[in-house]
Amino acid sequence: MRGTFRPKRTSAVICLIIGILLTAAALTIDIFLATGFIPSDNSSDLWFRGPLLVLGIIGIVLGLYFYPTLKHHRTIINVLFLFPLLFAFFITVILPLFLGLFYSFTDWNGIEYSSVIGVGNYTKMFKDPSFIWSILITFLFVVFNMILVNLVAFLLALLCTSKLPGMGFFRAAYFLPNLIGGIVLGYIWNFIFANVVTLLTDSLSGNRLSMLANTKTAFMAIIIVYVWQYAGYIMLIYITGLNTIPGDVLEAAAIDGAKPLQTLFEIKIPMIAPTITICTFLTLTSAFKQFDVNLALTNGAGAVPNFLGEFITNGTQMLALNIYDTAITARDYSFAQAKAFLFFIILACVSIIQVRISNKKEVEL
Amino acid sequence: MKKKLMSVLLAGTMVLSLVACGKATTDTTTSDNTDATATQTDATQTDAAQPADASGSKDAIRLVNGKPEINDQLNTLAAKYKEETGNEVVIETIGGDQKASDALKGYYQAGNMPDIFFVESNDIPDWEGKLVDLAGEQWTEDTDSELVVNGVTVGFPYSVEATALGYNKELLDKAGIDPSTLTSPAAWKEAVEKLDSMKDELGITAVFGWCTEPSNLGWSSGTHVFGQYLDAGLAYDDTKYIDLLNDGGQIDENRMKAFAEFIDMMNQYSDPDLVIDGNYDSQVAGFAEGKYVFVTQGNWIAPNILANDNYDGFEMGFAPYAFEDGIDTIIGGVPNFWAVYADGNVEAAKAFLQWCSEDSAQQILVEEAALISPYTDCKYTSDAPFAASIAQYISAGKLSYWHTMEKKSGLEDKTSVVFNQFAQGALDVDSFVSTMGQVIASYYAK
Repeated sequence: MRGTFRPKRTSAVICLIIGILLTAAALTIDIFLATGFIPSDNSSDLWFRGPLLVLGIIGIVLGLYFYPTLKHHRTIINVLFLFPLLFAFFITVILPLFLGLFYSFTDWNGIEYSSVIGVGNYTKMFKDPSFIWSILITFLFVVFNMILVNLVAFLLALLCTSKLPGMGFFRAAYFLPNLIGGIVLGYIWNFIFANVVTLLTDSLSGNRLSMLANTKTAFMAIIIVYVWQYAGYIMLIYITGLNTIPGDVLEAAAIDGAKPLQTLFEIKIPMIAPTITICTFLTLTSAFKQFDVNLALTNGAGAVPNFLGEFITNGTQMLALNIYDTAITARDYSFAQAKAFLFFIILACVSIIQVRISNKKEVEL
Repeated sequence: MKKKLMSVLLAGTMVLSLVACGKATTDTTTSDNTDATATQTDATQTDAAQPADASGSKDAIRLVNGKPEINDQLNTLAAKYKEETGNEVVIETIGGDQKASDALKGYYQAGNMPDIFFVESNDIPDWEGKLVDLAGEQWTEDTDSELVVNGVTVGFPYSVEATALGYNKELLDKAGIDPSTLTSPAAWKEAVEKLDSMKDELGITAVFGWCTEPSNLGWSSGTHVFGQYLDAGLAYDDTKYIDLLNDGGQIDENRMKAFAEFIDMMNQYSDPDLVIDGNYDSQVAGFAEGKYVFVTQGNWIAPNILANDNYDGFEMGFAPYAFEDGIDTIIGGVPNFWAVYADGNVEAAKAFLQWCSEDSAQQILVEEAALISPYTDCKYTSDAPFAASIAQYISAGKLSYWHTMEKKSGLEDKTSVVFNQFAQGALDVDSFVSTMGQVIASYYAK
């Protein structure tokens, strides 16, 4: 046993050491280049860095893979095979998260930062009435949406699970808006509000203005468009939920003489309670992140004559758009980064609560 | 065993391909270096015919353009440059819904910077230390419009734009109004009332095609119309009101009040279907079709007017926003520039810019791209609408520089909402002035 182990072990260890050495060499040269220790016009003579790094990594991987151990073999293999995914996740999610958090404490301008300014961006955030307004209307929007989207979607689902003819068509038709991108949808509805809805309001009340011209009605307009876009998607989930109700339960109810409304409230709704939870949270998080329709429909414009003693001009600007606007239009990247981090915390809290509650429900089931 | 062989083979290919890539980069870098030195010696020794440039394609410089409407013309320009000098310029256009300055930040992060790129004057602080000082280039002697920030010449100008109240000459002639007399609020009031009373005879919907819709057209009211408050009537180098504005967002209340009264008149005599919730297309189309006598846009609407089927070829020009007695200037200037990136191929980029200021390039830029040249030795004139009127103002010394481009970025989104509230009647002249003051000050305080 030992006899066969030894040469394998030595070759594996040699492989590992060579790999580590090569990788370290490649990285050291790279770091020296970046810090200017080696003049950068030499970089073309150092073409071998790439192959060196790849050879080094292959060496490490092979060394680890062939390392003859019974105890840790499984762990090593698991880590090796998970590594590419974890590495990609680290580069694209974890690293930007912490980099962003770091930038929020500096005066970063999107290109580079010159000094670390501490929590200045965070205190500034809460002294800014237009940002507080954005938070408020985002929460308002979320509440309205959660209720309206679920209500509309549930009613549509009831309609689509009834035995009326042509329901396949309607099901597809209700779902269709969800397939159109938010920006396109925003521009389409922009046109509708300016040219079609005005005809209606003109004949009803003599008001020829687009709904988007006034802050309150513009906010309603965003909700209408969002419900129209999202209800079809949630409807599909409700349909699935309704279809999982066992037929014998409904049959039994019918035989016992339950009226349709009774069946709905006493049987259908309790039976699809988990679906309702899922849909509520789906609408909750997606409404928080509302951006594209907001951008295309009003671009955040809207007057609020007196909020915390100021005339505010971003009456319909929700959180995501506010962050975008701070970074892109006002070019205050670090400030936007701080706002984005607050946004992340809010969303993380919502998601954690969501996971907790749905886990509980599953246990109860 | 087969598997092992396979994996060794695969790993080998990977390494080999990397080696190959590495080699390729060395090749280009070294040849780049020699090319650059070649052009350099060229430039210093003689600027006569270049040597047969076999490696011309490797010397290609990249230009990132932020004006999608002239993309085709710039490609023509690049083709002409290649034909004349053998050097290649690759045009990349960013635009439409994405702002060039944001895309360029992404380019920078990715290490993908072009040699020449589109900048607006308020982008410059972001790029401090990364742009080449173009002072002493030959073209700087032929123009006054190069962008100089803190004593460093960073921007190459390629077009002049101007804005004021665009008028329809035919309609004014019919009403017997001479646009050159419109230099005081009283004259304006009289003319506007006369035009309004002749609506049916002239076949117009309203006197003004003025739109304050803030979501999509905020740049018009918030930047250009607001810019009239900053600069109308001022000398080209007078920075009085922009300095005041950029000093913590202050406004001159008397001037703002006179301005507000003028805007009030515009609100009153505008098309009610346009002024609050209209859009760019209907505004420009209305003017092109003769529905409005005046339009609150600049010479950039020319292509849209020419493309309109109902445009009957009427003459047009600019009248000043005379909200105070004696204001007789229009505002304009160079809206954006080309800057040279310091770590790029600087010599080749400089050579290209110099060529752009010369005869054959100017012909393309003026005649094909319908730009108005900022170069004094340019002998081409555009026959685009408004070009003649702008040329008149420039030669009479009545062009005020539009310092509105130097206000804090994003301010237009805020002020445009105030313009809109004013048009809706939610504000009167006095509260317009105070609200404007408060909105601007709080935006500058951020």
